[in-house]
Amino acid sequence: MGWAVVIPLQVDPSVIAQGVNYVWVLVVSFLIFFMQPGFALLEAGQVRAKNVGNVLMKNMTDWALGVLVYFVVGAGVATIVGGLTSSGGVDVAAAFSYIGDSGAWIDWLFGAVFAMTAATIVSGAVAERMDFRAYIVFAATITGFIYPVVQGLTWSGGLLSGGGYIGAALGVGYLDFAGATVVHMCGGVAGLVGAKMVGPRKGRFDSNGDSQPIPGHSMLLAVLGTLILAFGWYGFNVGTQATVLATTESGGLEFMGAALGRVALVTTLGMGAGAVAAMIVSTSYQGKPDPLWMANGLLAGLVAVTGAVPHVTWWGGLILGAIGGAIVLPAYRWTVDSLKIDDVCGVFAVHGVAGAVGTALIPVFAVGGFSGTQLVMQVIGVVVIAAWTIIASGIVFAITDAVFGLRVSEEEEEEGLDAGEHGVSVYPEFVGDAGPDGALGSPTATDGGSDVRTDGGVVEDETVEANGGDSQ
Amino acid sequence: MSDEADEQGIKLVMAVIRPDKLSDVKTALAEAGAPSLTVTNVSGRGSQPAKKGQWRGEEYTVDLHQKVKVECVVADIPAGDVVDAIADAAHTGEKGDGKIFVLPVESAVQVRTGKEGEPAV
Repeated sequence: MGWAVVIPLQVDPSVIAQGVNYVWVLVVSFLIFFMQPGFALLEAGQVRAKNVGNVLMKNMTDWALGVLVYFVVGAGVATIVGGLTSSGGVDVAAAFSYIGDSGAWIDWLFGAVFAMTAATIVSGAVAERMDFRAYIVFAATITGFIYPVVQGLTWSGGLLSGGGYIGAALGVGYLDFAGATVVHMCGGVAGLVGAKMVGPRKGRFDSNGDSQPIPGHSMLLAVLGTLILAFGWYGFNVGTQATVLATTESGGLEFMGAALGRVALVTTLGMGAGAVAAMIVSTSYQGKPDPLWMANGLLAGLVAVTGAVPHVTWWGGLILGAIGGAIVLPAYRWTVDSLKIDDVCGVFAVHGVAGAVGTALIPVFAVGGFSGTQLVMQVIGVVVIAAWTIIASGIVFAITDAVFGLRVSEEEEEEGLDAGEHGVSVYPEFVGDAGPDGALGSPTATDGGSDVRTDGGVVEDETVEANGGDSQ
Repeated sequence: MSDEADEQGIKLVMAVIRPDKLSDVKTALAEAGAPSLTVTNVSGRGSQPAKKGQWRGEEYTVDLHQKVKVECVVADIPAGDVVDAIADAAHTGEKGDGKIFVLPVESAVQVRTGKEGEPAV
């Protein structure tokens, strides 16, 4: 028989808090990563079948190349810009110290999933005609430089934050909680610039300059992608409320349920209000409720509250979401009909306009009451981020245009970028259904030679006519 | 009704064209006075060289090219006019522009009215 010794639990509560909080941050990082398939489906559904593979390649490139660039360059650039545009000062070595510090890597991943979201928005605007090499260059630039500068100006303590030059002058910092402007407007505006510079798809505007619709090949994919995006968005917004357990002064632990609850609720109400508002607006405009507009409105509602979720009242979030959803259709029509820009997936309306309006109006619905100074700060912040994104992406696209050319050839655009850029067909026809003689385009391995044979299809024109012709 | 049309009876003009020429062909048919048509997505093989498809690095032959088949039945309008209109509108000069066939049609019925023969067209 032994003695039962009762030892009181001796644990530092801050370690528990840190552990729980970082598990939460990892989980939401994975959720935000799951926005990538959402974007891929959303964009793939809105393009024609002949360009789906190209859209998928762009989305995978945004993520895959983007994480490499953001690790080696981007995250450090953000810190440097933060220091340069505030009284914080610049230490280049310290800015890149995260590369060798395993304790900083969870935070790096959390930052990275936001950067990749900004990058992947652009592909939706420039779909169906941009040269793939040009796109790769832009994807690397936005993840390595354009977005990190915006991040530096805001979240990394730069120009617009409370400690930055503008923020300190006004006495308030720019509010954008999870990146309505830092991430979404940056991507949406860069997409608009790209769509303008690459030019409209062939046939998008007729000889009078009037827009002609080019329907996407699957509304099903687009709407499913939207709902997957919305799922990932909970990571984006609620996850930015990264503190689940806080340590109190008395050494205890406090559950931050109220703060988490506010961001979760406002995110949800904003999404719902945006979708309903877009349904109503599209019904009054088109006569019938349109699934794609409702899906766009759902996303715009999310974008509109993304910067605002912890700062506004629940009804304020609802109104912001409704505004975001309601302006999607008019903003898209303005982009197409007035600006004459072929923004294929409407990323400027969904991510740019909704992000700008939702973030600028935060002080109007603030929990703590209205602040005129804060409103001025919000407007300045939106203008600064938009101006930087327009200038920087304009320069990058111009350089890329000079080096590669932004646009594929007219023939390739006609044939589709899947065949032209990647040599594949996402929806192949008449493959593997041949009879015993393999005459109908069976998957014929090149038999010995490297030339592709045609099973007798290529004959002189005269012979065809002499034979009574064939169907072509 | 011209004499020529009187003699021609009912004709089916069947054309296989490039998908991206459909819009031009529709416009040309309307201008030729024969706006009614039936359109089908088809695949086929003719003088256009085969393309190379690939799947995981293995190549296969794509010698059935995607085309659009346009069918246009005419009685009043000379079939020759319709053929000319399609041929002009669908022309690029490259292999794969397509072909046009003219077939006699034995009879026709308009489902709504029950009219038969040329008035049905």
